[in-house]
Amino acid sequence: MSRHTILPGQPLTALYLLHVGSMDARLIGLSVERHWKHSVHLASSLESGRVVLIDCDRPGVEAAFEQLAPHPRTGVVCYAFHPKDHAQRFPNRVILGKPLNLEALPGILAKAAAESARTIAAPPRRIAPAPDKHPVEAAQSIEAPPSHGQGLQTEDERDLCGVMEDLPAAPIGPLPERLFFNPNEYLIGHLQRAIEHAASNGRPHLIAGLPRLIGVRPLPVPACITDFRDNQLRPLSMAQLPPTTARLISASSLTNNGSETVSASEDFLWNVAAWAARGRLPEGTDPYKPVRLRAWPNFTKVFMSPHALRISALWVRTWASPVEIAARLGIPQRYVFSVFSSARFAGLLDSTPPVRPGAIPQPPVSTSASTPTRSAVAEPVTRQQPQRPSILSRILRKLLNAV
Amino acid sequence: MRSERARHNKIIFSGTVGAGKSTAINALSDIPPVSTEALASDDTAKLKKTTTVAMDYGVLNLPDGEKVMLYGTPGQERFSFMWDILSEGGIGLVLLINNANTDPLSDLKGYLGAFKDFIAGTAVTVGVTHMDRAEMPGLDAYRATLAELGHQPVPAVFRVDARSRDDVAMLVKALLYTLNPGLIDA
Repeated sequence: MSRHTILPGQPLTALYLLHVGSMDARLIGLSVERHWKHSVHLASSLESGRVVLIDCDRPGVEAAFEQLAPHPRTGVVCYAFHPKDHAQRFPNRVILGKPLNLEALPGILAKAAAESARTIAAPPRRIAPAPDKHPVEAAQSIEAPPSHGQGLQTEDERDLCGVMEDLPAAPIGPLPERLFFNPNEYLIGHLQRAIEHAASNGRPHLIAGLPRLIGVRPLPVPACITDFRDNQLRPLSMAQLPPTTARLISASSLTNNGSETVSASEDFLWNVAAWAARGRLPEGTDPYKPVRLRAWPNFTKVFMSPHALRISALWVRTWASPVEIAARLGIPQRYVFSVFSSARFAGLLDSTPPVRPGAIPQPPVSTSASTPTRSAVAEPVTRQQPQRPSILSRILRKLLNAV
Repeated sequence: MRSERARHNKIIFSGTVGAGKSTAINALSDIPPVSTEALASDDTAKLKKTTTVAMDYGVLNLPDGEKVMLYGTPGQERFSFMWDILSEGGIGLVLLINNANTDPLSDLKGYLGAFKDFIAGTAVTVGVTHMDRAEMPGLDAYRATLAELGHQPVPAVFRVDARSRDDVAMLVKALLYTLNPGLIDA
């Protein structure tokens, strides 16, 4: 077992054993004492812990999570014999398999603690002073920690966002090649060209050479027509196409035999780009350059990567780089990269800030209720008061469970 | 002292006649919605057989026993005096626009104007319905109108089917995230 799963010089991770059996507590205690004393120390209370450990197989696990409600900035690491069985019950939690890999655990704990510490808070109050219990004041309250996304990944999530590790917060060297994809090698590149051609000459275009129809028409509103089903289109979009496979053909009209689906071009491009990108960025993208979403994607029709709603909500109101958005939301960058790639091909990205460069990516603002602002997300709240989740958060949970 | 109504958690659904406000509340509500639909007797009758004459009312039951009320305003403008009363203390506005109407962008402007003060303190999301019957204007035209009116932060505009619980829930989720992008996500 290595003592140096944490880099030398990093602070000790205060671990609180919130819901573990006595045997596990003893073994972990011994590990801390003998092997991890330079990286982990056991906290004596929940309040003093920066990360907690929860055994999902033990009875009363729900009550353990309830204890965490007032501590949104405390990291949570769960473990279970069958993590997949618990992923549904506790979505977006890091759930490790038993037996615990003690070599990797200190690093996982430190990461969970650090990421939860970055939890953003609600924006300040935005309405006129009102009596107690106004619903919108809930937006001020501390929210539960966002998903870390690096826990148990579903197959869909891996398909859509890959497994790329985060980049450093600031550029420190050349970017890894695997961060990028060349759109011209994928269906998305052909599709984008088809839409551009159709728009420029006002005629429908087909992408010939594919097993099924994909066509685009520019009028009355730009649309894509295909008789690929989603489960066929997805692998096609993810695969690199040999250069000679697909070619563009101008058509006088697109046949309609009733089996095709017609989608708004923007929605179709979003999906095909997401599948091609898989959490990567189009070649030539600077992940540190501030951009902005000019509009929300049409989320009733397009595929949503994890956190896509939060990312969009923040990115339509602020100029920020993909790396910065991920940091401000405390989520893995690959989810932001996925939204970036889709938005770029769907034409929803603004890349030219209209204001002076110095004013572009403001750091999160203070939480002072006396200076309401509608344009930024607040700094993580440092004080921790026992509070129930805000009404907004409770409605959201209801909707997430119901839909 | 604020009225009993004002102390409740509520989400307001408004929009044009026939846009699907009653249907949307029906899709989302945990109880059979209380509706004051009546046979339409004026120009509205050309658009739909019944219309909401006072308000629709649905409920989202939260796990802790708390309730979120879903209020639908009457679409007809002659009932607009009710809009302020219904929206008092609301969390935000879900605005439904019937794309098959003669001038849906003008409808959008009208409703945004009518709820201007309410939106200024909360948030709005826009659901465009009946796009299967009328493709134009597209979502970009709605976005351009919102930009022209200077709405910040940029409201979400989705193509929705008011009968779909998923679509209506998506509008409400976007409303919540507009209020606070820091909410947890799944």
